[in-house]
Amino acid sequence: MTDQADGLPIIPHLAGEFYTWLWWSSEQAGAVFELPQPVGTVDLWVDERLAFRYPDDLRVAAVMTGDNPAASLEARAALAGGKVLQEIRVGIRRDDREFIVTLKGPAAHVSALKLPQVVTDGDEEVLFERMHLYEEVSFVVQGLFRQFAALRMGEAWQTDVQPALHDWILGRG
Amino acid sequence: MGIVTGPMTLARFRVVGDRPQGWREVFRDRLNDHAFKEPPQGQGKEEVEGWVQVHNLLDAEFDDFNRWLYNDTVVLALRVDKKRLPAKLLRATLDKRAEAWCAERDVARCPNAVKAELKEELEHEWLARTLPSVSVTDAAWNIEGGWAVLHSLSEGVADRFRKRFYRTFGLKLVPWSPLDWLADAPAVEALMSRAPMPAQLGGPEVHLAGRSE
Repeated sequence: MTDQADGLPIIPHLAGEFYTWLWWSSEQAGAVFELPQPVGTVDLWVDERLAFRYPDDLRVAAVMTGDNPAASLEARAALAGGKVLQEIRVGIRRDDREFIVTLKGPAAHVSALKLPQVVTDGDEEVLFERMHLYEEVSFVVQGLFRQFAALRMGEAWQTDVQPALHDWILGRG
Repeated sequence: MGIVTGPMTLARFRVVGDRPQGWREVFRDRLNDHAFKEPPQGQGKEEVEGWVQVHNLLDAEFDDFNRWLYNDTVVLALRVDKKRLPAKLLRATLDKRAEAWCAERDVARCPNAVKAELKEELEHEWLARTLPSVSVTDAAWNIEGGWAVLHSLSEGVADRFRKRFYRTFGLKLVPWSPLDWLADAPAVEALMSRAPMPAQLGGPEVHLAGRSE
């Protein structure tokens, strides 16, 4: 992290590319992501929502919901037509804990996060647990974003990842 | 629904600034200073805002650390009250009172100054018996981690929260960027320089090959 007092810029296309990479990678890797320690292995799959926007507009232009929208022809066609992902709802499993969360917009806001409620008794214990689980989700998303960023910065993005993504969008992958 | 129960929807911020010496006691006092305070009876037409405990919006005292400080995480809620009077009914009632005032004095017209006074009396009377609309937004601040979350994605709510947070703690909140997840400044600069423009993943020239599902 940096110490910039005015905050780091929020770059819309990076979030859209990150979401697309998550979707693509989850299909390529059988939903398994091997992230560097201390995050470790997580399972990630696209859940019940994908929302798209036009590249020059931050408003949602198309939404796909229901069972497995990632498998629909319309979802892939939206990417092929030039739309970019604005929201992606994903399931994440780490060890025996399962989370469902929508990553939303250029800032990757956490939305409608469902936590695995382990503790149910006592105000204080529940609050501790929920904050701890939120931090765990943030920690995993950070690990995923770092992995995406490392790829995006490397030579392999141009030579391998981007062509593979392109083929996948075309249905050749 | 909020930080205590239900699904979470959170805008995240980075907290910029230094903690004061003896921050627990300092923050307790500042929270008490900026806590929600009920407006006097007959007022409340303007918005009234302040901090409350996350457990119950009627608890607006922060003397007990166990109710708002969990290890190094502050958990609180911003309460905003506003009373709304029914405008059409107010205007009609005011007209009737002005007519009565004229009838009592056998004059044709109620002066503007009197009408203003009658309106003030009427609003005071009605505000005293009107319940406010109440909004409560949960928030948490991880002091060690230097970040805070607000249980809302509304820009307006975020602006209000940031201003109140600054007035209370003297610390600035800046919106979280995914770039904050990177390890250090060189990584941020590297990503920004390698990915200044969107990658061409789809577009008008792309034709989708058949996919049956």
